[in-house]
Amino acid sequence: MVVASMPPADPDVVLRTVRLTKRYGRRMALADLDLEVRRGRVFGFLGPNGAGKTTCISLILGLISATGGHIQMFGLDTRTHLPQALRRAGAVLEGPSFYPHLNARDNLRVWGALSGGVDGRRIDEVLSLVGLTSRARDKVRGYSLGMTQRLALASALVHDPELLILDEPTNGLDPAGMREFRGLIRELGGAGTTVFVSSHLLNEVEQMCDDVAIIKEGRLITQGPVASLVRRGEALEVTTTDNERAQRIVRGLEGVGAVTRDGDCLVVEASRERAAEISRALAEQQIYLWELKPREGTLEEFFLEVTSEGGTGG
Amino acid sequence: MDNLLAVEILKVRKRWMPYVLLLVMVIGAAVLIWLIGYVGYHEETESEFADDAFRTFAFPWSIPALLDSGQFWGAAVFVAILTSSTVATEYNWGTVRQALTRGQPRWQFLAAKLVGTSIICTAFLLAALGVGVLFSILATSAEGAPITLDVRDGPSVPEIFLMVLRSALGIIPYGMLAFALAVVGRSTALGIAGTLGYMLGEGIIVAILESIGGIAADLREVTIGHHVASLIAANRIGAGDYNSIAARELPVSADLPDVWIAALVILLYTAAFAAVAFFVFNRRDLRSSDR
Repeated sequence: MVVASMPPADPDVVLRTVRLTKRYGRRMALADLDLEVRRGRVFGFLGPNGAGKTTCISLILGLISATGGHIQMFGLDTRTHLPQALRRAGAVLEGPSFYPHLNARDNLRVWGALSGGVDGRRIDEVLSLVGLTSRARDKVRGYSLGMTQRLALASALVHDPELLILDEPTNGLDPAGMREFRGLIRELGGAGTTVFVSSHLLNEVEQMCDDVAIIKEGRLITQGPVASLVRRGEALEVTTTDNERAQRIVRGLEGVGAVTRDGDCLVVEASRERAAEISRALAEQQIYLWELKPREGTLEEFFLEVTSEGGTGG
Repeated sequence: MDNLLAVEILKVRKRWMPYVLLLVMVIGAAVLIWLIGYVGYHEETESEFADDAFRTFAFPWSIPALLDSGQFWGAAVFVAILTSSTVATEYNWGTVRQALTRGQPRWQFLAAKLVGTSIICTAFLLAALGVGVLFSILATSAEGAPITLDVRDGPSVPEIFLMVLRSALGIIPYGMLAFALAVVGRSTALGIAGTLGYMLGEGIIVAILESIGGIAADLREVTIGHHVASLIAANRIGAGDYNSIAARELPVSADLPDVWIAALVILLYTAAFAAVAFFVFNRRDLRSSDR
């Protein structure tokens, strides 16, 4: 087992994993994962199926033990202070679970008691927040998947946690429910709650998260602010009077990556700062622009790029 | 811990299972008092067997008869089923993973479950005993016999309390065995079948070992049932026998260990089963596939 030393606690870092590793027999589920989640940020945790997202969340929540590495939550080493750290966190696990013979209120009473106890008023508040007030006295066994997800969120929020850990929380929600959920997460983030959310819905994460980490086969590919990661895939769309010659000319310019044809235009991998230089270089060769505009990258494109075979991230 | 116990009891008392099991126990008490005791007494022609039947239903002799049967079936049916179920359904529902994300130490979760289930079991078993005693009082009245503790070798109220404690002690190791099996196997069926199998199988194995004789026969000295029998024997009122629906021979006091030694051995078994359950639960990985 590799012994990883714990860096000094930074009050602005709510959650940090240091060389976190989990091995099941010969299979490496998670390898040397270093994550850093800062206070008040909504942090997206992305990866293809089987990448190790749920394993990582289970490690953070102390449900499974690490083969190597450490976790720091609120500056507390979870190897020695797991209960104290978890009291300040709320979690929605993938496929949330409840006591089916109890109603929503009683379920929240149970979860609240396990978190140190909450009063009835707080239970009413979170039920209202997730829109389940009218069904609060119904047994949970009669709930739809979407209602169960909303109750799961209520159970994670019932003790007013500082950190919310969500594993695929929008599974089972309809589009309206997803939008509502997204708004709620942004609202929580805005109110200072730190949110760590794993999802395979890239569009959701892009709209919801400030920061993102991408893992593949148990290894971290990249992490950083969503805006900067998306910009890393930045490109320009160029349409000229002679695309064939333009392609050859632009390809030779400094600071330009791949230049590909996409219908009537060229897609030039370059930052928007290179636009003037491209325009000048083409004009010098008597090739004139019909159109030159930035092509915004999406998180989905970036994700597919870094998780595809041979993909390289940061 | 009060909060945890309260919600643990809430979880169990809102299930239908304890009430069904209570009904089974009450039916068992009715069978013992009315059928085996009262009807048996009236139909028995031989005075020795009629005396046994009388002591089965008539107060206060009915108390050891009820505790004897109640210890066996209470442990096997009620406690094993309820205990195994309350533990294993947390896995089936996936709530054990959710519960352990709330900042509660694992040992505390398990301890609250154990204590909460014990409280429910105690309440329901005492309720079944109460109904059995009520049946006995009605049957004794119907027979025209006095309702009194003032009989030859009759127990005082504190002694009745002690009798109940001895029987409860005889249930605890089986309850803890069910608990440990359910924790380790994450299965209600394993908890119930393992405990029932042990209780019934132990008697059969002891009988076989006794027929072999020698050292093999001495092995019964380490069985749980042998020591429980000592506690049950200590509950007797006077020298007379009673009928029991427990699946074991009526204990012969001379062959049994001292009550205090029996209690100590039972507590050691209980501690061992508890240690296994807590050790496994504390160290176990709870993966999402372990719902």
